[in-house]
Amino acid sequence: MKPETIEQAIRDLVSIYGDGVRVAREGSRTLVRLAEVEMPPGCRPQTTAMLLVFDPDQPKPLPYVRPGQLLANGREPRSTSTQIVGGESWMQFSFNIPWVEGQSIVRFVTAARQRFAGNE
Amino acid sequence: MSEVELRVPLGLGETLRDVVFRRGRHEYVALGLVSHARLGDRDVILLRQLLEIPESAYRPEAGHGAAWNGAAMIPAIAEAVDLGLGIVVFHAHPHDGPPSLSGDDRGSADRLIPMFRVRVPMRPHGSIVLSRTHAAGLVAMPGGAVVPTKTDVRWLGASIIDWRPAEAAADVPDLGSFARQLLVVRDDGQRTLANARVGVVGLGGGGSHVAHQLAHLGVGEVILVDADRASPTDRHRLLGLSRFDVWLRRRKTTVMRRIVRRIGMGTRCRTIGTRLPEPDALEALKASDVVVGCLDNLHARADLQELSWRFLIPYVDVGVNIRAINDPGPDGPHVSIGGNVLTLIPGGFCMWCCGFLSKEKLDAELAGPNRNYFENRAGEAQVVSLNGVAASQAVTEVLQLLTGFAGKGLRRVDVALPHLPGLQRGFRKLDGVRGTLEDWGAARRPGCTFCRSTLAAGVVAWAPVV
Repeated sequence: MKPETIEQAIRDLVSIYGDGVRVAREGSRTLVRLAEVEMPPGCRPQTTAMLLVFDPDQPKPLPYVRPGQLLANGREPRSTSTQIVGGESWMQFSFNIPWVEGQSIVRFVTAARQRFAGNE
Repeated sequence: MSEVELRVPLGLGETLRDVVFRRGRHEYVALGLVSHARLGDRDVILLRQLLEIPESAYRPEAGHGAAWNGAAMIPAIAEAVDLGLGIVVFHAHPHDGPPSLSGDDRGSADRLIPMFRVRVPMRPHGSIVLSRTHAAGLVAMPGGAVVPTKTDVRWLGASIIDWRPAEAAADVPDLGSFARQLLVVRDDGQRTLANARVGVVGLGGGGSHVAHQLAHLGVGEVILVDADRASPTDRHRLLGLSRFDVWLRRRKTTVMRRIVRRIGMGTRCRTIGTRLPEPDALEALKASDVVVGCLDNLHARADLQELSWRFLIPYVDVGVNIRAINDPGPDGPHVSIGGNVLTLIPGGFCMWCCGFLSKEKLDAELAGPNRNYFENRAGEAQVVSLNGVAASQAVTEVLQLLTGFAGKGLRRVDVALPHLPGLQRGFRKLDGVRGTLEDWGAARRPGCTFCRSTLAAGVVAWAPVV
């Protein structure tokens, strides 16, 4: 992923999530944290923090939410696992979210939330 | 007065002392680039990098103190901004006992710290003076004021050396019970053990030995982490497990807590019935002085390696592998018995440096994209006595780290293999067939990207988008 792609993605996220966006660099990776993202109806909790990891060696960002995020049926979604990122626990999505460089990152976040909720 | 702990990884303590205690016409200053974290109930500053002021930048009018041209700090400030790190100015007053900042020191800190904060507001900044036994300073944590700060220091070397005020150490309730052990660790070592907190991750064949022995040593608190319940196949190797425990399918943490209490040497026990890296396990382990990993997979080891390096917590790893030999000779062994006891001191070699971890090895452990797809290793061979050999050595490593009974030096030479000084001791390999446990040593790899990105990284320093 090109540096300018990451910069554009951060600008796009700020335009939607405003002050709730925080960034940090860890080695070659850029971490972007969204303080509050609305999850699809029925998910518990209804909002969660989301982490996007931009790695120059990866074609697309990796999305994470806070561990303990449950689906509308009260269960954790399949195909997720808890990982340490930046010294904290985050729940990783393993499923494939369609996105290519140049597309809107906001669409990627929306798609990630939908896939999460649909992964019963 | 506020309190903070400064943690110094292996190697940097030696450099820091060499610089600030250097004899010369004036005092010498080192600029530390630091991260931070809240570990347990303590604010901790983690030293990541040290830079010196060049001799030519010191100004002669300072007398016996230190004054330097501001331009000499530009490389350090640029590096701090680039890496998102705080800046701590270190100098020394070469005497024993608590030091205090002079009027000049305070004036200098009052000018510098606000300037550092403007550039990197999300990290701590400060000015710390070291004596030969204590430290004190002015420190501003992120969002806080610049305040006089009682500074504990944790130096990592051949052992953990803590500079802490004596009042922080609780006495050992029944010192006489440890009479024979005191001959090795002495009274102060036993007191250190009684105030120590050791995390044990994995309470199977290896971890059950470790938990028992830590309780016998008189360690103050053990944090026991395991998500599993007792099963019939644990009975031949999980020390202290009863038939009743298996019948009731008790949690392994519950079984080990009972054992620790029964041993009754004053050890408190905290149990976490989840897997690393679930949040409760991770948070509990961050407050450990040492972590022991008794794990059956590399992914969990990679997590402990990250915890250890990021927050400067020494990590001892134990593992035993028993494999069948294809086509064994008629009278030869039909199994190979290998194992390892790794003592990982932050600042020394890591599991990535020595090839114990690699992306290929981690990928090979999975049959899918994440940890839901672990290859099942539950049926691997295990023997109680072989687990015990490796686990006992791991506990001895913990004893050394906490008490320094075999040496307390901070220098890299103090952790080197005697016959191969280029290698750091602490990569021990078990050969269960020959009956040997030998230290092969390992070296820190200068280009290790894991060490470069993670050592003393602390918590993520989130910044608003500007």
